[in-house]
Amino acid sequence: MPKHDTPLLDELESGPWPSFVTDMKKMAEKNEMVADLLGLLELSFKDKVGHWKHGGIAGVFGYGGGVIGRYSDRPDLFPAAAAFHTLRVNQPSSKFYTTEYLKKLCDLWEKHGSGLTNMHGSTGDIILLGAKTEELEPTFFDLTHELDTDLGGSGSNLRSPSCCIGKARCEYSCLDTQALCHDITNEYQDELHRPAFPYKFKFKISGCPNDCVASIARSDCAVIGTWKDDIRIDQAAVKAYVAGEFAPNGGAFSGKDWGPFDIDKEVIGLCPTSCMSWDGSALKINNRECTRCMHCISVMPRALKVGKEQGASILVGAKAPILEGAQLATLVIPFMEMQAPFDEFKEFIDKVWDWWMEEGRNRERLGELIQRKGLQEFIEVTEIEAIPQMIEYPRENPYIFWKEEDVEGGFTRDIHKFRKEHSI
Amino acid sequence: MPYDSANPMKDRITDIGPVHYEKFFPEIVKKNYGKWDYHEILEPGVLVHHSETGDDLYTVRVGGTRIMSVYFIREICEIADKYCDGSLRFTTRNNIEFLVADKSKLQPLIDDLRSRGNKFPIGGTGAGVTNIVHTQGWIHCHTAAVDASGAVKSIMDEIYSHFGNMTLPGHVRIAVACCLNMCGAVHASDIAIVGIHRKPPMIDEEYINKLCELPLAIAACPTGAIKGVKKEDGSRSVQVNNDKCMFCGNCFTMCPAMPMNDAEGDGVAILVGGKISNRLTKPQFSKVVIPFIPNETPRWPSMVKAVKDILEAYSADANKYERLGDWAQRIGWERFFEKCEIPFSDKLIDDYRFAYPSWRQSTLFKWTD
Amino acid sequence: MSDEKQAVLDYFAAKKGKSKLYFSDLLKAVPGSKPRQFKKIVNEMIQEGLLVYWSSGSTTMYMLAGDGQLAAEEAGMSDAGKE
Repeated sequence: MPKHDTPLLDELESGPWPSFVTDMKKMAEKNEMVADLLGLLELSFKDKVGHWKHGGIAGVFGYGGGVIGRYSDRPDLFPAAAAFHTLRVNQPSSKFYTTEYLKKLCDLWEKHGSGLTNMHGSTGDIILLGAKTEELEPTFFDLTHELDTDLGGSGSNLRSPSCCIGKARCEYSCLDTQALCHDITNEYQDELHRPAFPYKFKFKISGCPNDCVASIARSDCAVIGTWKDDIRIDQAAVKAYVAGEFAPNGGAFSGKDWGPFDIDKEVIGLCPTSCMSWDGSALKINNRECTRCMHCISVMPRALKVGKEQGASILVGAKAPILEGAQLATLVIPFMEMQAPFDEFKEFIDKVWDWWMEEGRNRERLGELIQRKGLQEFIEVTEIEAIPQMIEYPRENPYIFWKEEDVEGGFTRDIHKFRKEHSI
Repeated sequence: MPYDSANPMKDRITDIGPVHYEKFFPEIVKKNYGKWDYHEILEPGVLVHHSETGDDLYTVRVGGTRIMSVYFIREICEIADKYCDGSLRFTTRNNIEFLVADKSKLQPLIDDLRSRGNKFPIGGTGAGVTNIVHTQGWIHCHTAAVDASGAVKSIMDEIYSHFGNMTLPGHVRIAVACCLNMCGAVHASDIAIVGIHRKPPMIDEEYINKLCELPLAIAACPTGAIKGVKKEDGSRSVQVNNDKCMFCGNCFTMCPAMPMNDAEGDGVAILVGGKISNRLTKPQFSKVVIPFIPNETPRWPSMVKAVKDILEAYSADANKYERLGDWAQRIGWERFFEKCEIPFSDKLIDDYRFAYPSWRQSTLFKWTD
Repeated sequence: MSDEKQAVLDYFAAKKGKSKLYFSDLLKAVPGSKPRQFKKIVNEMIQEGLLVYWSSGSTTMYMLAGDGQLAAEEAGMSDAGKE
């Protein structure tokens, strides 16, 4: 017998997509917190409003992030869900797991909390959803002692970095995404746990310009794999695609009959820089003109491979719309070699953080600071040379803020000398 | 030794970070790291990656619910133990991936997954709809204007065929954020559903002084819409300039005596045409095409229909490889509204910061009926 | 206690009616200090139990430890259903 009737939620049990309600009901049989959570959620479906309040002090000692405090506004009706805090647990890079680890995590969380999780939260963390205040410390203790796992970030600190699957299972990847992700996560543990930034800071790492972790849209520092040399071409494989022997796009469009593969229309004609040609026997690419958009490679993955001189483009300042409006990340370093221990990258980050911590206003993301202060100042403090790759087009106004050292003779002039030659 | 509440600092471990990823790599991944040659999608949701070493790795991708109980995770583990030597992974979009090195186990794995009712839908690859990324919603968030899990379940039930098929002109990435703070950063999705409030916060005069530090509530407002006032009895409170309120709920986060959730006021906006990938065209933001749809629990039929209609109009009209936003830009947004039969209104003309570039500064428009 | 730490405590005491401060505001307690150096002092004060964090989930602020009243209010401030 369920503790609360949930007629509205029950309607979300049918249909072909998996039902979180069915799953929660099963958990509710064993855990009173979830039984009350279902009751509370049913109330929200009935009232069409949420029933949560924010709690700001909940946390584990010494850490300023990793726990989000949450209290219900109906503890009278649903006492077991009155305090329902979230723990963010730092996920392993690329989210591979052994079942051994996951089962231990399940046992731990069944013992200490609601037994509900998010696999995973938006930032990438494992989310343990629903801990009473007194269980936060014991959960943290067991996580660190039994699972060798730490909490992730929240608040004004470094958020848990995340990355795509990279070279672990993707032929497009130009980066050891996991290596960089894991390295910086550990290098910056203090920044991750002890917030002292003006606001959140996110690193996201994608192995190629397809950007499967959406780094360009949501990370303050996006690291996106790229290459400098030529796309590698296997001409025999190109011919096999043209002859219809290989499925284009790895079969990604196979559900609909789009007609036979047409290399002129689907590859050559669509190339955004028109840097390719096909004469019926050989595919040619003018690599100098290629912007590495990944289209041709994605269409013919057996014939075309990313180049071998691999590294990353660094872009900064992406964020969701709050507050100044959404920003995509801006390219500041077209190419950086990315080998452990990633010293060049870390030196860059140090300069970025020094500047942002000095100049950033409360709750100002890096991208907003760059907007406010200008890209010029950003590249000046990070000691990057201005290059045309940074811009979509040059400025359309001539209101250049010349500095004194830019101008021959400086700004100081002699008015008396001027006056001798110009009457007033 | 277990945790000792009398001595919480004893044996405390901090700053260890996550477990090293290599400990979780299956043997075949360790062996072929960086050596993958090419991949194929054998059928929707089933991939094979071929390595230069001659190894093949099969992946079965299954849609997950993001919120999952330990019982559900244990069931996933049981399956992975049986077919995948105890290895699995999750994707950025909440999918579960079962990895199989031994081809003889592939079909039995697929059959097993299909035998478990609606728990493990296989798909999410190629030119179709993959899993929806989303936020917490009413299950857990104090500023949510819509439930996320319920909305996602309702949408995915309706457009399920696009998860298990690859019949669309391109990838379609859908996202749900339960308020405009967008924890999920959904603002660059082909279709984004964003919860919005439409009523400014109430002020609970009885509690505001007991519960809130007024300067913090005032400072929390992104648009400066809140100011401090002195009441007749000499006590202090705040006043909200309704014209300046952008309905973000930040004041409520700082001050629980300023609630804004409302059954009539809250609902969703629909944004379309964003993308992340650099493929063919630049990454771009999603644009608001429907300013408001009310919350119709438990299955949001109007919102679901709107999503489905947009998806079908795109499916019928876009060229191969054209993402939803690329299609809308090619045909023109005026034609997009016509083809999708979405009414246009002044709410869709930007009047926030940086609005000007979104207005038309040319005579190059199309006629619509 | 170091001069810097005392300055932080004094700064809080001078900010009557404001129990929570952003890091950048707290930084003003010790004029001329560099953020990443100052952070070490604040970290120590957290470890020593002099300060505690307050987090909105997206942003973090600092409070004097022992402001337990607020914690209690936070957990129990609802009056819904109590009539």
